[in-house]
Amino acid sequence: ASVDGPSVFWKFSLWGKRRAFTEGAETLSKRLSEETNGKFQLKIFYGGQLSKSKENLDGLKANSFEMAGFCNFYHPGKNPGLMVLTMPFLPMGDFDKDVKIRQAVYDHPIVKDQLAKWNAMLYMTSNLPQYEFLGKGKPPMNLSDFKGMRVRAGGGVGQAMEKLGAIRQTVPASEVYTLISRGAVDAVSFPYTYAHASYKIHEVAEWYTANLSPGTSDCPYVINQTAYNKLPQQYKDLLAKLKPEAIAAVKVAYKKADDKNLPMFKSKLKEIRYDEKTLEEFRKVAGKPVWDAWVAENKDQFDAQALIDLVFEAAK
Amino acid sequence: MSFEKLFSGEASGIFGIGYEDPILVGLICTGILLVLVLSGVRVVFASSFAGIIGLVELIGVGPALGNVGAIPYSKSVTFVLGLLPIFILIGFLAFQAGLTRQLFEAAKRWVGFVPGGLAVATVFATAGFAAVSGASTATAAVFSRVAIPEMLKEGYDKKLAAGVVAAGGTLASLIPPSAILVIYAIIVEESVGALLLAGFLPGVFSAFVYAAIIIVWAKLNPNLAPPSKRYSLKEKVMSLPGVLPIAIVISVIISAIYAGWATPTEAGALGAFVVLIIALYKGIKIESLKFALIETAKLVAMIFSIIWGVLIFVRFLGFSGLPETFANWIISLPFDPYLILIMILLGYVILGMFIDAIGLLLLTLPVVYPAIILLNGGPDVTAEQSAFGMTFNQVSIWFGIIVVKMAEVCLITPPIGLNCFVVAGVRKDIPVTDVFKGVTLFFIADILTIIALILFPSVITWLPDLMMS
Amino acid sequence: MIVFSGIVVFIVMILTSFQIISRVMGYPWPGYLELSELSISIFAFLGVAYAQRVDSHIRMELIVGNLKGRLKWFVEVFATFFGFLIILILIKYSFLFALDSYKIGDTTYDYLYPTWPAKALVPIGFSIWALRLLLELIGYVRMLFLPNSEPFAIPVTKSPEELANEEIKVIRE
Ligand code: NA
Ligand code: NA
Repeated sequence: ASVDGPSVFWKFSLWGKRRAFTEGAETLSKRLSEETNGKFQLKIFYGGQLSKSKENLDGLKANSFEMAGFCNFYHPGKNPGLMVLTMPFLPMGDFDKDVKIRQAVYDHPIVKDQLAKWNAMLYMTSNLPQYEFLGKGKPPMNLSDFKGMRVRAGGGVGQAMEKLGAIRQTVPASEVYTLISRGAVDAVSFPYTYAHASYKIHEVAEWYTANLSPGTSDCPYVINQTAYNKLPQQYKDLLAKLKPEAIAAVKVAYKKADDKNLPMFKSKLKEIRYDEKTLEEFRKVAGKPVWDAWVAENKDQFDAQALIDLVFEAAK
Repeated sequence: MSFEKLFSGEASGIFGIGYEDPILVGLICTGILLVLVLSGVRVVFASSFAGIIGLVELIGVGPALGNVGAIPYSKSVTFVLGLLPIFILIGFLAFQAGLTRQLFEAAKRWVGFVPGGLAVATVFATAGFAAVSGASTATAAVFSRVAIPEMLKEGYDKKLAAGVVAAGGTLASLIPPSAILVIYAIIVEESVGALLLAGFLPGVFSAFVYAAIIIVWAKLNPNLAPPSKRYSLKEKVMSLPGVLPIAIVISVIISAIYAGWATPTEAGALGAFVVLIIALYKGIKIESLKFALIETAKLVAMIFSIIWGVLIFVRFLGFSGLPETFANWIISLPFDPYLILIMILLGYVILGMFIDAIGLLLLTLPVVYPAIILLNGGPDVTAEQSAFGMTFNQVSIWFGIIVVKMAEVCLITPPIGLNCFVVAGVRKDIPVTDVFKGVTLFFIADILTIIALILFPSVITWLPDLMMS
Repeated sequence: MIVFSGIVVFIVMILTSFQIISRVMGYPWPGYLELSELSISIFAFLGVAYAQRVDSHIRMELIVGNLKGRLKWFVEVFATFFGFLIILILIKYSFLFALDSYKIGDTTYDYLYPTWPAKALVPIGFSIWALRLLLELIGYVRMLFLPNSEPFAIPVTKSPEELANEEIKVIRE
């Protein structure tokens, strides 16, 4: 044990089972306990036992628990600024560059203040991977092939697909498998590759996009501000110190999923790779117009353009 | 019982225990809940109260009430629960559409020739009607009017006639649509579509076990069920149009799902819509429709209330860590997993004597279900390594069907076996004690069915597996 | 209100069917899923007071059903007061939950419908429920002091036979 201090018991509210997204929390919990000789306990509650996923911010506001995960697209109204990370065709990059961009957004006063209304402070990103498409039927080799395609895509990626003339289908994620296999939906975008694999989409799909990078979303871990303020300085420092380790654990977990899933996708499905020229076209047709619409929608609330610019700045 | 101490934290709350010993708080509040329920406090109030008290103890007043304030909305307003009202409405509409008599007539002509033929026909008619109705008691009520008079006219034993109707009614909850299977799926977060599919074969299987036991019984005691008239092939075929409406509903639902037009959830709505059209075609009166809507709305309000009420208590259980501790304790027991399973199921028989099926499932599953999953080997276990020879999803579905079947058995056992009271209520000439005597045979059939479902889980898992691959 | 709640169930069923047909023909209704989800709030919460009036909220009748005289009324007063109290607490905190959503502008995830109206139905429905419970509470207190008077504003405790008779009324074969 390297850090001494009072006994602290924190509850971490998560939904679903243990998975890549939750590995950061697991690592944090384990390391906190190790470093404090069991004095700082972070107990993870899975399966939405402490709160429904969409109400985790409400739970922090009520001080029901001390940490939680959530996804920005669950409730755009609760975290309007954070929705910048759901915009399509942003210049995101590899895992580490992604972390840098997201952290820049977390540190921006607009985003900080909006989360502060929920008594929440952003701790770390879980770096949700890009939403590639898996689908059945005619593969989309270029922009025009998306016209008339029935796609299940949410948020910014969904709006981008509409710009390309695709028809958005709103169906629960758990039903996608059946609908793809029956041909009622042509393609689905999920975080690539682990989410496609966990919904078993690859079993019924015929093709996948490998480098479209149409966009992603953001599912951060947040800390209850009140609980954080009560911590002694050495525990606050410890949380900061362990953050890179927790993020690295998520990176390893995604990599492990990719190592398992990609060969499976490659052997069974047709891989689609777009050249740089086509990708540029995607960004022009389906990216910028969506960003501009989003900036205009929020012009009375906050400076959304500043957040877009911030992403480009951090991506350099 | 040796529950390990899970957390260490600051004491707080009313009892001064707080997170020092959450398991103790969990046990105290479970006790409070039991006392309140026994003293006649409505389940929704009793479980909200016990949950709130427990949460206040663990995390303090403000955090507890802030958390609880979100539960009624967030636990009710979810896509799958939208299916419940539709399933309840479909049942009421089906009764108003008056399909039961023709169904019984067709069943009588096709299977009436076997020993105990009219009773066997009753079993298959209730099974057929189960495809449009999810209400056990209502199914028992309507067949009391349709089937019992004919059986008595042919000289059937009163007890047998009443028993077969009371038992046949329970098939409505296994064969989809079934509100109780939806509720199970919600509690354990399993696919609703998979559970509904899973209920089909066990429902049909139950019907065959009922039929088999009637045939054997009638062979042994011919005076209880005198042989009935045989029908010609022409007469048999002539009865088929009466079955058509239900056949249409079933094929619409199956083809909508199979062709990918609709999710299983939406297909339920589509099925209800078809029943509505049939009811309109049959000339349903506007006041009948209004009656069906009010009854649906009343039942829906009650079911949603008990769901969020119990889930407030479940939220507290989550904070307390009791389900996890209970599950760990269960797997630490030095018994065979099957023995533990049977002990749990016997627990359901006893609890089912006092509380109705929905309340029973909601109150017990949050603690029992994690234990069953862990007993099988956890969420990532392979079929080969597991205790029951099934994957996580398979065991979820399998246990769900068995538990629902248990809950249905409680509908025909004393003291509150509601189906028996329903039959006795329709038939003023049959005392309820006679109905309870009459269902003994079917109680035995149900026990055999449950044993078979435990030993041959593929009866349950085969259809959902087929659908998902 | 109960009729309204029933009619909403009916409308959702019909719209869902049309929505499926329309989607199969290539014209999906954007945002329908989210709207139909929000509509659950109507039939989950607006009918609770009516369900109380016709005594349809589940409880265990085994002991209460066999009690007689003042003891019975005492237990009923206790059980009803208890419910009244819980609902008062839930009114306050479900209201605050809805208020947070309103103030911050919470929406559904895809088509951005505001969620506060659906959330506000909880305290609204519960307020009517509380009034109904208060009325029943007065009725039970009256019986406690005047056990021989004609019952007023209270549901009658039902035996399994009586419950069965209610089930039977449902059927109009
Ligand atoms: Na049914
Ligand atoms: Na009778």
